[in-house]
Order: sequence, then structure tokens, then C-alpha cells
Amino acid sequence: MKAFDLEGLTIGEIAPLIRKKQISPLELTRRYLDRIKTLNSTLNAYLAMMEEDAVATARRAEREIGKGNYRGPLHGIPFSIKDNIATKGVTTTAGSKILADWVPDFDATVVERLKNAGAVILGKTNMHEWAKGSNSINPFYDTSYNPWDTTRIPGGSSGGSAVAVAASLCLASLGTDSAGSVRNPASLCGVVGLKPTLGRVSVFGGVPGTGGYTVNHFGILAKTVKDCALVLGHIAGHDPKDPLSSDEPVPNYTKLIGRPVKGMKVGIIKGYFEQSLVGEVRRAFEEALRMLKALGMKAQEVTIPHMDLVPALQAASTRPEANSDHDHYLRTRPRDYSPGLLYGLIAGLLIPAPVYVTAQRIRRLLCQEFDTAFESVQVIVAPTLFTPAPTIEDCNRGYIEADGKRINLADRAGNFLTRYTIPFNVTGLPTISICCGFSSSGLPIGMQISAPPFQEGKVFQVAHTYERVTEWHKRTPQL
Amino acid sequence: MKDAVRRLNVEYGFNLSDQEIDLVAKQAEEAALLFQPLFEVDVTGITPLTKIDRRVEKTATGKKGKK
Repeated sequence: MKAFDLEGLTIGEIAPLIRKKQISPLELTRRYLDRIKTLNSTLNAYLAMMEEDAVATARRAEREIGKGNYRGPLHGIPFSIKDNIATKGVTTTAGSKILADWVPDFDATVVERLKNAGAVILGKTNMHEWAKGSNSINPFYDTSYNPWDTTRIPGGSSGGSAVAVAASLCLASLGTDSAGSVRNPASLCGVVGLKPTLGRVSVFGGVPGTGGYTVNHFGILAKTVKDCALVLGHIAGHDPKDPLSSDEPVPNYTKLIGRPVKGMKVGIIKGYFEQSLVGEVRRAFEEALRMLKALGMKAQEVTIPHMDLVPALQAASTRPEANSDHDHYLRTRPRDYSPGLLYGLIAGLLIPAPVYVTAQRIRRLLCQEFDTAFESVQVIVAPTLFTPAPTIEDCNRGYIEADGKRINLADRAGNFLTRYTIPFNVTGLPTISICCGFSSSGLPIGMQISAPPFQEGKVFQVAHTYERVTEWHKRTPQL
Repeated sequence: MKDAVRRLNVEYGFNLSDQEIDLVAKQAEEAALLFQPLFEVDVTGITPLTKIDRRVEKTATGKKGKK
């Protein structure tokens, strides 16, 4: 068997070695399980381990591959799953006290598809309570800690998933993203996070009350763009169990990877993505833009007339949808929510119905405005967050200090940590976050790349080209 | 807004303290202000978005500004 180091390992590199029987899926799985045993007490990335299942699946993969029955690039690959995605026979808490003992008797469609592809599921990852927040400070299961600096948040709500990938506690993870919950932690932990087009991936098996219906997506966290593309190819596609899933054909997402981007146009939206933007993030983003231009892309400013309404549209969509799902527990177990979440849910009960419906109408307008922008550019880029990872203390006191200023982490329009990611939830556009630099204190900084609906291939093409000429994704946290 | 929160408090059995009622009412008031500009957009002829399609037909209306 080939010797290998878990840090820096990617699916793209290891899958061919598994196929050629040069790496044993069983040995690989055991190595990850050992690493989790060593590091999880420090990072709190996993809530539940599936050790027995994982070893049995890896053993089966080894046997099948040995007999020449190789299922594809996910065969024998260790994954983790966010704890608001149903896993048959395994506790699925959604990071909540209320569901602390819930054991689903079914798999989410994405889990079923991973299993069919021969993937090995190591366990369930920690998250923000009910996915209703972006710092993964969880009062019931403790905070997940950022592997680059454990005094800092990993982002969220898929915080544990991002920590698991960044700290090499799995090769990829599935998360959910209704306001940036895949891209935000991917950015703060220095990994790749993809939110596909709304409907591209079935959300059947997502815990109700953790994302709503109109802006919620399942997404992928991985070490490289190519790994994201490989995983998406296996989990995307229509699902009769999810009426909102699309029947758009699933292309070969790795096909565009490696194709040149010369001549492509990249759109920049002025104003919105400059709110509270911290100097270090601005400089990293501008440098990334210069790199895209050096690769032959042309930058062009685009205008989205109703961009300033995005926070209102997001709140008007998610809050009533959350209340629809939480009504039963609000009536029966209100004090089993953390106080902050309880107050928010009660306030949500007072949103008039016309607010919700009007928001859905304006969302269509906003999508049309993005369609118009995409007539002149192929992708739109933006920073993923206005700041690198805040400390846990920053989050508890509600502000950060940067560039000699105090910047609040929330305002009337909601959470500032999701302000840059929500435009792509409201519009459902496929968007990836990739690492585009590091702060002076060694914290990762992320950039988003977005494309028209169902053009994930274009997102991968640009993101991979950028990744290939930079070394950011190769850095690993010292643990 | 405080009265509305008090009514919910009774209906749902939250057992909120006066301080908690104030806090929730303040959040609801802030949200109402946030949503106000949505009603200044002309949405005549525009149906709610329920699903993303590859191509979205453009509508003639939808200019920013008061109706």
C-alpha cells in the first residue's frame, strides 16, 4: 500500500489510487477515525460518530474493488454529514435540544446517493442550533472551533462540516445553506464551499425548521474545486421525493475543469459588497480580481437595481417559513430553544402574510435583474464575508474591531456575517466560495464566484483556474 | 406591538417576562421597518418565485420606486 498523509489529501488525488488498489479504503477510514479521536475533543467538529458503519462500509468497498467492481470516484471516500440531514438509524439533532434523541428511520436523498456511490460516512457534524445562525456557538453541544485559531468561530451554520474538512477529519462534507451556511464556514476555515442552484440537489431529508423552502439548499464542503465537482455529479438530479428539485439534466461537472477562462467576463456589483468591508479582505479580494484579469478575464461593473432589498427579502422569506415549521414546538417546548432563537421565532409570528408574498414577487424581479447582468458577464464575483473569522468573544459581545473602527455583527437587517452570501440564496444562483488569501494573523479569506442558474460548470471552470494558479488551498492549519 | 406579543404569550403559553415581551416587541418593530420598503416596489403582473428555471421570462414592469 502507498504511504499517504491525510493532510492535503484530496478526492481527486486519492480516488485513482483506490481504484488501482494502491490505497486501502479500510486503512484510509481507520486513519480518519484515529485522527478524529485525537482532534475532536479540541475542535468539536463531530457530534456523533458512525465508526462501526464506516468500518463495515470501507471493508465492503475494499472487497468490491478487489473483485473489480469499482463504483466510481467516491467509492471508499470518507465523508461527514451535517447534523440536520437525516441519516437512517443515527441521531440527527439539528444542533437542537428538542431533537436530541431523534433517530430517523430513513436517509436523506443525498445520503442515499452517497451510499450508492460507495462513500464511507464517518459521522454527523456539529452546527448552529437549528441552523439559525452563522457562528456555530451552540449552547447545547458546545461551539465548533476554528482549526486556524481555536479562539475563533468556524462560521456556520455548517461549522462542524467546515472544521472537519479543514482539519482533515474527512475528505468532504455535506452541509445546508439557506443564508450562506456552507459558504460562510468554508470561507472562515479556508476550504471550498458550493451552494448549487436552487433545486439542483434534492433537499429531501433536511430537518424541517432548519432552512425553510424558498432559499434553502444542500451544499458541499471539500478541499478543492474538483472535489466539489466530483461530489455534485453524484448528488445532483431530480428526486421524486422533493417536488422542488429540478429535472434539468446533470452534466459531467468535471468536463469544464481545466478549460481556459481567457476572454470570459467577470461582473462586479458595486456598493452592496462594500458594506463594512474590512481592509484585509478588500485587499485580498482586489488581488484575486487582478489574478483573474491576469488569466485573461475582463472585469465589468454590473448593476442590480433592487440589491439593497436583499436583506429584507431574505428575512421576509426565511422567518415565516421557520415559523411554519416550528409552530408545534413553540406551543409545546418553547423553553427548549436558546433564548435568542425563541425571541426571534416569536417575533416572526408577527410578520403579516403580505410581507411574505410580496417578497416572493420581488425575488422574481431580482432574478430577472441578475439574468440581465449575466447577459454581459459570465460570472459575478464578490467577497464571501466582510471579515476573517471573528473571535468567540467578538460574537458574544456583538462586534469586531478592525481598521480602527467598531463594526457591529448584526443590525436591523439581520446578521452581518451572512450579508454577502444571502443575495445568492434569494436568487438561488449557483455560487462557490474559495480561499483567496490569508489575513496578517493567518486567517483564511474567501471569494464567491456565481453564475446563471444551472451553470455550476462555469463556476467550477473559473474557480478551478484561479485555484490552480494560487497556493492558498494547499495551506493547512497547524494542529 | 407589545399587545400583540402579550396575546401570543397567552395563546402559545410562552410564560414570557415583561422584559422578554419588550425584547420581542422591539425585534418585531425593527422587522416591520425592514419590510416597509418592499411595499414601495411595483410588483404589478409579477408572480411569486417558487422555483428557479434555466431561463426566466422578463416582465415589462418592476421599476424601482414608489407605485
